[in-house]
Amino acid sequence: MDGPAAWLRSLLRGEPPLRPPGALEERAFVARCIRCDRCAEVCPYHALRPAGARRGLAAGTPEVVARDAPCWLCLRCPPTCPTGALAPVAAARDVRMGRASVIRERCYAHQGIVCRTCLDACPLQGEAILQDEELRPVVTERCVGCGLCEHRCPAEGSAIRVVARGGA
Amino acid sequence: MAGRWSRWRRATQVIAALVYVGLPFVGEPWLAGSLAALRVGRVDLVEPAGALSAVLASGAIPRALLLGSLPVVALGLLLGPVYCSWICPWGFLSEGIDRLRARGARWPDRAWEAVRRPRVVALVLVLFSSALLGAPLAALLAPPRLVTALPVEAWSGRVVPWFTGGLLLAFLGLELLGPRRLLCRALCPAGAMAAVLRRRFTWSPRFFANQCRCPDAPACHQGCPWGIDPRVASFRDGCTSCMACVDRCPPGALSGRSRAYPRGLQA
Repeated sequence: MDGPAAWLRSLLRGEPPLRPPGALEERAFVARCIRCDRCAEVCPYHALRPAGARRGLAAGTPEVVARDAPCWLCLRCPPTCPTGALAPVAAARDVRMGRASVIRERCYAHQGIVCRTCLDACPLQGEAILQDEELRPVVTERCVGCGLCEHRCPAEGSAIRVVARGGA
Repeated sequence: MAGRWSRWRRATQVIAALVYVGLPFVGEPWLAGSLAALRVGRVDLVEPAGALSAVLASGAIPRALLLGSLPVVALGLLLGPVYCSWICPWGFLSEGIDRLRARGARWPDRAWEAVRRPRVVALVLVLFSSALLGAPLAALLAPPRLVTALPVEAWSGRVVPWFTGGLLLAFLGLELLGPRRLLCRALCPAGAMAAVLRRRFTWSPRFFANQCRCPDAPACHQGCPWGIDPRVASFRDGCTSCMACVDRCPPGALSGRSRAYPRGLQA
């Protein structure tokens, strides 16, 4: 659906933020979430934050700022959603929040320093982040985008970033 | 002025406000939420205007949303907008502000008439914009949601709630400087929905003309927080079943304990 409405929407909304587990595709999520904050309330890790005004029409929807507070994949939030904006997720492995991506210029391992913090932080040990022959981290298709690696990375500003599903 | 009904209502409002301030500290899956959607045990209570705007924005009708709205709609049909007058912390706040600024000043005659239609128009506009913009504005902008989301955002979200707090401040400014109780009376989508749900059989003060002994400016009319004359009230007016008029009626011509609009009495 293109036209003035779509243009206004793109103007009012920025890049998609990282969403909680089970979240629908960004546009459907923003349309269906009634901003009741129940997911944020049941999150034991205070990882779900209501989006601010800079998100435009998506203000009030829950987002994860992984560097500050990543998702621990406890999966308490999807069942508490009254609208189905967060669909039920069977297991942590099935979560699709996004995918981590290594920023080589910042990564210690890429500069020859021994570091495997991201590998150790990963809840999907030996699946989501592997090492290449030079011991540098490689993110695989199994990554669910929880952001634990981004949270723990010792590099300034984090050398591994979760790119939200649907983001650039 | 504080009669029986008013005391009960005040107590209910205080308890509701305390519950919503305390909820984020509970943070249990069986007891969580705001006035947009509350979960108690396995029961979902979803505010219908917000739910409807989400349905219009997303073009989907989720079963959970439908089921969650049903108890609230039933409550609205039976008890009227008690959501506004007995529960909503924003309403409580708004009443306090109005008392401060009005100092007992009475409403102009037929104060309600001026906002009856604009209020429904505002609700329709908000619902229409929700569909157009793809975001449930009736939930996003509703004062009851904003005021109950504030503690959740600050405690559970660990953020300074600029957006929610800013909107609330703007709304408070409107309540202080704009027409009296403008948000509750005319702009709140949740309140408009609660008012639209009122029927003839909905709980309301009942008037017995043969027991009325007051002259032109009766205490009931002066005491109504919306400026409605309960002697000529209709189920389509802005009565929120607060029962303030019943408390002020000296001869007992108004009752909160009988069927609302008996045959032949509708205005």
